[in-house]
Amino acid sequence: MSEGAERPVLLSIRDASRVYRMGEVDVPALRAVTLDVFEGEILVIVGASGSGKSTLLNLIGGMDRPTAGAVVFRGEDLAVATDRRLTLFRRREVGFVFQLFNLIPSLTALENVRVAIEIADDPLDPREALQLVDLGDRADHFPSQLSGGQQQRVAIARALASNPRMVLCDEPTGALDSATTRSVLELLLRLNGELGKTIVVITHERHITPIADRVVILHDGTVASITRNEERAAVADLDWT
Amino acid sequence: MALRFTLKKKLLRDLWGRKLALSALVVIVGIGVACYVAMASVYRDLDGARARYYRDRRLADFAVDLKRAPASVTERVAALPNVSGVRGRIDFAVLLDLPGVDEPITGRAISMPRRRAPVLNDVVLVRGGWFGGRDDREAILNESFAAAHGLGPGDRIKVTLLDRQVDLLIVGTALSPEFVYLIPAGGGLAPDPARFGVLYCPEELLERSCDLEGAVNQIIGTVHDDEPTAIRNTLELIGDELDAWGVTNTVAAADQPSVRFLADELAGLAVTSRTIPVVFLFVAALVLNVLVSRLVRQQRTVIGTLKALGYSSSQVTVHFLGYGVVVGFGGGVAGLALGWWMQTGLVSVYRQFYAVPGIEAHVYPDIAATGLAISVGFAILGTVKSVRHAASLAPAEAMQPPPPEGGHRILLERMPWLWGRLSFRRRLVLRSIFRNPFRSGVSVFASMVSTALVVTTLNNADALDVIVRHEFEQVSHQDVTVVVRDPIDAARADEVTLLDAIGRIEPQLVIVCDVENGARRKRIGVTGLPSGNELYTPLDDRGRRLVVPEEGLLLSRKLADILGVEVGDVVRLRPLIGRRETVRAPIVGIATIYLGLGAYADLGYLSRLVGEERVANSVLGVVAGRRATAELYRGVKERPAVIGVGERRRALDQIQQTFGEVMGTFIGVTVLFAGLIAFGAVLNTALVSLSEREREVATLRVLGYHPGQVSRIFSAESVALNGVGIGFGLLAGVGLTHLLSLAYDTELYRFPVVIAPENLALASALMAAFIAAAQLVIYQLIRALEWLAVLQARG
Repeated sequence: MSEGAERPVLLSIRDASRVYRMGEVDVPALRAVTLDVFEGEILVIVGASGSGKSTLLNLIGGMDRPTAGAVVFRGEDLAVATDRRLTLFRRREVGFVFQLFNLIPSLTALENVRVAIEIADDPLDPREALQLVDLGDRADHFPSQLSGGQQQRVAIARALASNPRMVLCDEPTGALDSATTRSVLELLLRLNGELGKTIVVITHERHITPIADRVVILHDGTVASITRNEERAAVADLDWT
Repeated sequence: MALRFTLKKKLLRDLWGRKLALSALVVIVGIGVACYVAMASVYRDLDGARARYYRDRRLADFAVDLKRAPASVTERVAALPNVSGVRGRIDFAVLLDLPGVDEPITGRAISMPRRRAPVLNDVVLVRGGWFGGRDDREAILNESFAAAHGLGPGDRIKVTLLDRQVDLLIVGTALSPEFVYLIPAGGGLAPDPARFGVLYCPEELLERSCDLEGAVNQIIGTVHDDEPTAIRNTLELIGDELDAWGVTNTVAAADQPSVRFLADELAGLAVTSRTIPVVFLFVAALVLNVLVSRLVRQQRTVIGTLKALGYSSSQVTVHFLGYGVVVGFGGGVAGLALGWWMQTGLVSVYRQFYAVPGIEAHVYPDIAATGLAISVGFAILGTVKSVRHAASLAPAEAMQPPPPEGGHRILLERMPWLWGRLSFRRRLVLRSIFRNPFRSGVSVFASMVSTALVVTTLNNADALDVIVRHEFEQVSHQDVTVVVRDPIDAARADEVTLLDAIGRIEPQLVIVCDVENGARRKRIGVTGLPSGNELYTPLDDRGRRLVVPEEGLLLSRKLADILGVEVGDVVRLRPLIGRRETVRAPIVGIATIYLGLGAYADLGYLSRLVGEERVANSVLGVVAGRRATAELYRGVKERPAVIGVGERRRALDQIQQTFGEVMGTFIGVTVLFAGLIAFGAVLNTALVSLSEREREVATLRVLGYHPGQVSRIFSAESVALNGVGIGFGLLAGVGLTHLLSLAYDTELYRFPVVIAPENLALASALMAAFIAAAQLVIYQLIRALEWLAVLQARG
């Protein structure tokens, strides 16, 4: 694959479509999308609201199955995998970061990380995961006692804790101010650089695409373009105006 | 599948955050478990003590009363099929004269071997010892009777045996399996050990004193096959075999009042322990379902996140089932503690009523485990539907905000002429009710159950009152009843009983007879009443006095049903004494009687049946004042013909005092439990409703509504739902009262259906008070709601 520039393919999506049935009407969210995710890359998927970003991320993360086509991970088609298989796939291979953090309010930061660790095969130490996101001193705080940026870092620590190959981020900075957004993006870059994690980010904020290895633009459920950044930009160089 | 440590923490913290709603639920579950555990355990305590007692003391399966038979007849009876053991004994009606007690006390003297030996209907010595003095004028006194009079070993007691008063030394006190429920003759329902003295005397003494040397007047025995039909057949055989010695009565143990009362009580307890707790737990399961559904809806994103993190559906299921398990377990443990408290209380009440040694409260691990399992099971049942829904959500779906709650029009909105007239607040209330039909239904059901429970309990207490007033005020009008050993000339009843000088008297004749209609047969005491009877007046079902016919019988409704006869039918009637000829007797009326199986005939008619002109074996009298009563008692004590004196007032007081206390406690506990159920259910559903409508509340607060105005919207919903619930509850209570009167329709007693309007009003008021208390809590929560934060919160 030329797009991958020598990196091996981690996950392949082939002609994947996803149609939702809303009452009497079929609503296509994705139409015959074909896309590879390469090991260790940062892939940013951008598109307007309703372009199918979240649906695509759900297919990549094993949260949903396509209605047609294939999602192949290491030779296994997730489109026909059982619920149990998908659960194990998510548990072992994927870490999720959500726009609204999705922390469990009744658990502390450390405990939120532990939730992921307790079912993982080869997890990190939860405190180590928190230290990675610079929140070692906030371990015993409840989400309501943390700022938005801190909550998102806890969510990232949780995503990392199970030591997955991929970290999937759904609008990770959508609920954050620009300063916090910068620190979260820096963190993601660091995870990619230092730990070699594959990072997939979906966002509608086009100005963050320079940090990616590749940028996928979705339009009306189809891949409008896939471009490769010759050089990844540093977060400090992004245009925030 | 074990719950992960961190999720356990989450579970406990989530539960703690809902402690108010959950503790209300724990109380409901706890009450259900407590009722089950207490009743099932008391059943076993009582049944176990009874079975041990009957077995260890060899309670006879039957008793046959005779005029007089040689002691050797026992051998003939023992040779009959199915008979496994026989004992001949003397059982003699006596009068006891106690120092310091004015009235003569009815009693029975029963023979026992001089030397202690294992016999049928043996006794348990409580104090003192067995006979053994050189003089055989000794007695072992029934412990309950002795205790009621402060008597014990070493005391002396005067007993009229046949024709003379004998001074007996009390050597011991004892309890017997045949007298566990001591009701004096004419006493009705409540035990009165102070007025019924059973004493055991050496055989030789009774043979000598009762003119029964070498003879017995009662055969008791055991059988191999104790099925009712087998015993009946055996008793018929014995009756034929002993016919020559004048069989006056044959009774199977199951028909003996003492055995019967206890058996009926246990049967009732068994049914109650299986029904009432189920109702409570069912309500708890429904309310829990409402609560957990809400919880699951609130945690939709958490479910999605857990699934995204790789938690399986079964792990999510186990986590959410934890809510049910904790409530069930918490309620179960609380129920076990409350149940133990209730069990010890109930056991002490039963000890007052039933003289059975060894009624002790025991902990039964299997009952406790079943109680816990039932409560956890019901609680899980309450959560299962919501949890299954939660687990079935695909992670991607769970991440999405829930679909908007049903915003559809409710039925009433399609009636513009009605809907248009409603204020917006009423519309809010009605929409909330009809858009959440399950939750609304649970509210209605819970208050219905609670109300029905209170109505039924109050009605039952009134039914008892109706029974007592009917039997002791509307049918009986005498002050005293004097019973004589052998029938006397009715015209001379006044002389024998000394009642003539004091007031109006009326002779009565009670004869044990077999009444038959085809294959249906019943042995009962037929009461002969004089014409123009004023002191004992049987009533029909509308409370009108029945005229005793010159020929034929008046039957109680129950007896008529047992025999399958109505007015106009003819039954075969055979007295067990006298010529014992069978006659055909027309049924001329049906009387309403709540206690026992009654049958009435004209005194002369009944006398002629036993070959006499006009005889009586009891006399009713009106006594003018205390002095006259004391005079009567003094005279009677010297009359050996008299074997019993009963006071109507005393029996009435005894019943009212004994049952009044128990009934009062029972009503109190029931109202408390029903109230807690209503309170818990109302609070829970209102809390769920409040949490769903927090934004609505906040918006109203922003618009300038006071907390009181907002809470009125909630209370309007609660009032509407619970008002309907109470209405249904009143109807259900009336239905349940009818059902209970069918359930308590035994040969010993029947419960009339009493529906007192004031009970319905009281039940409604009590329920309204409990519901108002729950509303007060909701008002406080609305007042404390941080509405600004609610409005700022996302989603």
